Amino acid sequence: MLVDLIQNTLDGLTIGAAYALLALGFTLIFGVLRRINLSYGPAIMLGCYAATWFHVQFQAGLLALAAITLAATVLAGAYVERLCFAPHRDRSAIAAMVASFAIWMQLEELATLVLPNHLYAFPALYEGGPLGFGPFTLRADALVMLAVTAVACIALQRLLYRSRFGLAVRAVIDQPVAARLVGINLPWVFVRVFALASAIGAMAGYLIVASAEQVTPMLGMWSTLKGMLAMMLGGLGSLPGAIVGGLALGLIEAHSQWFFGPQVRDLTAYFLLFLLLALRPSGLWTTTRSVS
Amino acid sequence: MDDYAIGVLTNIGLFSFLALSAYLLLIAGEMSFGQQAFFGVGAYSGGVLTAIYGLPLPLAALAAMLLGALAAFLVGLPTLRLRGLYFAMATLAAAEMARILFELYRFQREIDGELVGPDGTQGFRGIRWIFERGIEPEGYLALVWGLLLIALVFFVLVERSRLGATLRAIGQDPELARSCGISVERFKLGVAAAAGALAALGGVLFAHHNTYIEPRNFDIMLGVHSLAYALIGGLGTAVGPLLGVVLDIGALEGSRVFQGYRMIAFGGLVAVLLIFRPRGILDEKAVHWLKARFS
Repeated sequence: MLVDLIQNTLDGLTIGAAYALLALGFTLIFGVLRRINLSYGPAIMLGCYAATWFHVQFQAGLLALAAITLAATVLAGAYVERLCFAPHRDRSAIAAMVASFAIWMQLEELATLVLPNHLYAFPALYEGGPLGFGPFTLRADALVMLAVTAVACIALQRLLYRSRFGLAVRAVIDQPVAARLVGINLPWVFVRVFALASAIGAMAGYLIVASAEQVTPMLGMWSTLKGMLAMMLGGLGSLPGAIVGGLALGLIEAHSQWFFGPQVRDLTAYFLLFLLLALRPSGLWTTTRSVS
Repeated sequence: MDDYAIGVLTNIGLFSFLALSAYLLLIAGEMSFGQQAFFGVGAYSGGVLTAIYGLPLPLAALAAMLLGALAAFLVGLPTLRLRGLYFAMATLAAAEMARILFELYRFQREIDGELVGPDGTQGFRGIRWIFERGIEPEGYLALVWGLLLIALVFFVLVERSRLGATLRAIGQDPELARSCGISVERFKLGVAAAAGALAALGGVLFAHHNTYIEPRNFDIMLGVHSLAYALIGGLGTAVGPLLGVVLDIGALEGSRVFQGYRMIAFGGLVAVLLIFRPRGILDEKAVHWLKARFS
């Protein structure tokens, strides 16, 4: 029983690390633009599909696939930014969101036109079996997932708190009006943040499909939903909140799946989100001024 | 008319109820990601009432609408005080919970030697009230559009009345509306319940048109579609959402021109359209202009 609980916690943290990465990208975009980017997941999906296509055609290696995922996701992200967010900068948030949904449809259909089957194999990060630690097992790609998430968090922290660009980003998140008044070039920040968020999302997507060893057309919706859910659990627009929310979501899912099965697992996650929104809309992890 | 055209027109009518439901909340200033849940509540409850309990369709539709309104009221009670995205997320969570509950819902009875009723993820087969009564597709089409016309007339009457002005006032500036003595929360609850009933009516009609429904029908895709319909068509008039549905289901799916590329065409069209008309084709300005021109 205790062994199971600890094993579930390990599994939960692993998938939670992926959720945290997804949520980080989602939160960066939300924090800076105050817009929900529904196309976030589908852009990641397109990136993973591009990599899968290269894998099917040319048997490209792991690093090449990662680079292709990154490049294609950032490209798709740039397309989304130009079409859905740049034109709506000072206007309706709803219009921007619905536009990003429209582009979701486009990206998803494009991906399935290129690779029409329901399922494609994706090369695994590590071919050997799970590693044993006493009574517990941990897959090697889970370790990679945790390590990459940790490194990404540290790198992001340094970027945001040690560079001029990071200062600009934080200023825009905390005080958009004042940031503009002191002469921060908002479009410049927006475009770069979008690219950064897409890159983080691509990393998450690559690790997820590599450890699942497959891609399906569900990946787009799945990534958007999980990223959004983790972001909301942690608190809208808060970066530490995104990490906490992602890990919390992973833990909740792993434990409720073990106790009640997969359908109740999803039910629990949504129920907690609903409850949290009704009782404490600012999220579990609230920082000052991170929520307007 | 061939059967395909009748099918497309019936679908346009059905989904217009859902689009109107999203539209009603949008003009009251709330964006719901969850109207598909009430569409689903209508479809399931209406289907169970006619297929298992043998109720006539009109009665089942009324009961389903009541249930849809009740569900929307219960969801709205803790969430309507939330603003903007928080409300959108809360309704999304509620709708996904509803979809999972449909997946867990098993209620099968043997009717005429055949198992009928919701069977979890396997879906709900045999909602055949229309076919058992020998109602032709044309007849059903007329029924759907007749009901839609009634709903539209109702919308037009409301928009011309004091009620409509109150609705738009709340949508434009809830604080100002509150200071004018409007009880914003209670009003919004009423609007949410009405929108739930509207979506549920669409759901009942959908279930009886398809004869088969499954939980996947009521996923987030349907919800965001209904929002998109309302926003493309325009927030100026209740005809707007209808226009959105016609554009998507009618022009793109119905014409079969963009077969295989429908979503690429529709998606691009919507994104470009929203740059030029962020509140839809028939937005408030356009409606005002049309009214001034033709009255």
